[in-house]
Amino acid sequence: MTSDPRLRVPLVVLTVLILDLSLFTRVRVAGVMPDLMLLLAIAAGITGGQVRGAVVGFGSGMVVDLFLQTPLGLSALVFSVVGYTVGTAQTGILRASWWIPVVTAFVASAGGVLFFALAATVVGDTSLVTARLGLVMALVGVMNALLAPLAVRMMAWALDCTPARGGYVV
Amino acid sequence: MAVYRRSRRHRFLLVLLALTSITVITLDFRGESGGFLDGVRNGARDAFAPVQSAADSVFNPVGDFFGGLTRYGSLKAENDRLRSDLAQARSESLRQAGAERERQKLLALQNLEFAQDIPSVSARVVSNGPSNFQLTVAIDKGTDDRIAAGMPVVTGSGLVGRVVDASRSRATVMLVTDRSSNVGIRLQTSGTLAVARGGGADKSLSVDLVDLTTPLSPGEAVVTSGLQGSVFPPDLPLGRVSTAKVEPGALSQSVTVDPLVELDRMEFVKVLLWSGQP
Repeated sequence: MTSDPRLRVPLVVLTVLILDLSLFTRVRVAGVMPDLMLLLAIAAGITGGQVRGAVVGFGSGMVVDLFLQTPLGLSALVFSVVGYTVGTAQTGILRASWWIPVVTAFVASAGGVLFFALAATVVGDTSLVTARLGLVMALVGVMNALLAPLAVRMMAWALDCTPARGGYVV
Repeated sequence: MAVYRRSRRHRFLLVLLALTSITVITLDFRGESGGFLDGVRNGARDAFAPVQSAADSVFNPVGDFFGGLTRYGSLKAENDRLRSDLAQARSESLRQAGAERERQKLLALQNLEFAQDIPSVSARVVSNGPSNFQLTVAIDKGTDDRIAAGMPVVTGSGLVGRVVDASRSRATVMLVTDRSSNVGIRLQTSGTLAVARGGGADKSLSVDLVDLTTPLSPGEAVVTSGLQGSVFPPDLPLGRVSTAKVEPGALSQSVTVDPLVELDRMEFVKVLLWSGQP
């Protein structure tokens, strides 16, 4: 199979989208499902750095926006910033432990959910910032953290990243 | 220096992506329905429909299994309750058969509004929306079956929500419990008009601006008001009053309403082909 990220990344994004829309909308804990498309952006940031994090986040966000009722482009904005931020943070630390992606995914996912809710409020949808927001952040954080090792592996394959190129492979 | 320049270029890319997103958000806001972005969105949903249907049939048991795990206790309790309800219903149905005949005659006589036959389309609920905030479901019919945004959606037991988006073969229904949902209602006993706001998943709807003097009883039926220009036709059953209390110093009662429909376990719904007041 070709190792061109321009083919592999869309393949991964679409596969994960199908799982997201059909499987993970059913597997909810307290009504909350993991945010897989956000997780892809985070994984891209971890494995490929800022630029890839931002680009993958933009793409995965735009794709999931097509299936949401929030304005088109909102997830794209949030995910690309999250992917970029994760990529920036990753370049500054020593990548040695397996738990770094897990913790990163937890923090970045919870932060991403908060950012998304705030951004939605800014564009006029005030129904997201409620007392429940904290719970959603925590649950999405935990579920995304659990799935992070898998997502990082998928992204490392899709981006064809080797550890020597500043990437991270579990 | 090279590193510095590279990180500046990276930041430029991020700004570019962010600006693109914001432009799309703006366009999506300003564009009236039927615009280019709507076309893209609907096209994607249609293109995805067959894939989703296939994946759904694979993952349906998983969802059922998971649902069973997380609510085994409540299912068992529900089973017991249903058994006793069934016995009760059997005896009641005998009594009500007579009453129903009488009611039909009265309706024919007075030509009341809720006897109006609104044409409808049945649809299967294919999935929940992939969101942790908005409460929507996707159904497997769309504009090909004359469904359009704004139409009310019901089940046998009552109001579910309304269609917010429709592509050719799919439509998205926003549930009455969504936090952005508002339903104009009438409290059946007193005839008081009010608005029920969604409170989120598995939460009751809250009703604002109910006068202090309005008599209320728990279990009282709540139906849509269907005032001029309202989103829903009149007299669709919405729910039952679960609590009504007066906070100290408040000028109105705070009332909560439990929806009649089990919104997280719907299989089929009916879309009423109704768009605004006749």
